[in-house]
Amino acid sequence: MKLLTTNFLKCSVQSCDTSNDNFPLSYSAQSTLARDESIEFNAAFLLKILDRVDWPAVVTVAGELGNSGLPATKPVLSSGDVAQLGDDELALLRDLHVLLVQTTLVEGEMKCRNCGHTYYIKNGIPNLLLPPHLA
Amino acid sequence: MLPTPYVKYDFDKVYEPSEDSFLLLDSLETDQAYLNERFAELFPVVCELGPGSGIVTTFMMQNELPAAHALYLAVDINPWAIEATLDTAKRNNCDKKLIEPIQSSLTASLRNKQVDVLLFNPPYVPAEEIPDIPETRDDTDTWLDLALVGGKDGMKITQVVLDQLDDTLSPQGVAYILFCARNKPEEIVDQMKSYWNIELIQRRKAGWEVLSVYRFSRK
Repeated sequence: MKLLTTNFLKCSVQSCDTSNDNFPLSYSAQSTLARDESIEFNAAFLLKILDRVDWPAVVTVAGELGNSGLPATKPVLSSGDVAQLGDDELALLRDLHVLLVQTTLVEGEMKCRNCGHTYYIKNGIPNLLLPPHLA
Repeated sequence: MLPTPYVKYDFDKVYEPSEDSFLLLDSLETDQAYLNERFAELFPVVCELGPGSGIVTTFMMQNELPAAHALYLAVDINPWAIEATLDTAKRNNCDKKLIEPIQSSLTASLRNKQVDVLLFNPPYVPAEEIPDIPETRDDTDTWLDLALVGGKDGMKITQVVLDQLDDTLSPQGVAYILFCARNKPEEIVDQMKSYWNIELIQRRKAGWEVLSVYRFSRK
């Protein structure tokens, strides 16, 4: 599972929807990470991803998984046109590509901050099915 | 005519692409320009519920729908469908796209209001009851039943998704949902049309069934 996907997953328990703690899920520091270099960097695409993601959730999840180097607020780039961006800005987009697109969780646990239910990632696939008594 | 993905999997474990699957593909082809235009400037999040073999999600990736770069979430309760979807993506050289199979029930685990394109070919066959989720992967008969049967009027599962549509779709989001005539789609459209723009995209007779695909978007 790509780190990017953590930005779109919440706890499956319906009653957690009324809390503000069902997103992002909390990821275990013991999770096994891998890097999938097969997806090529595309600066224009990364700009759109940056625009789209919930940045505080990216910072939280990356921090839990051992990357605490992200700025607390979402980086604002000088232009929406890739050709106008400086080298530092392109380097930032490249770093985000590695973090969000190439970094995958292979094995791991993710826990709801509200109800505490733990979900598992196995062989790269997140499983958010609930046991019958919670569904 | 857009190319159709090549699918080869054990159809005792996942739903084999059939008339309904192809009607959904045709609907997406009909709406190609509409989708390309609507999502040209965004990083779209596509979500297919119950991808089964993965033919629809792969078709989207293969034909750059709604855009060349998107995140494709393929959500299925059936572990075999997760496997089949990855297999189909790979067979059609789409495994370098941002595809993410997720084992989950319908939209329960999706963060609210994030899906730009929702795709759903539901279990729509009317039946007395819907079986419980099997405890093992090997209970393939039950997994297959879950891909087909939809309870009363065949609407029990689709209704869950319709009830959550407002929470699921992004502000610019659209949903493509397939119905059979016994689901009484016209009645559903009547009930929902004061809140949603609903367009019939394709309708086709398939054997003794009449299938239709409707597109839902916010007013």
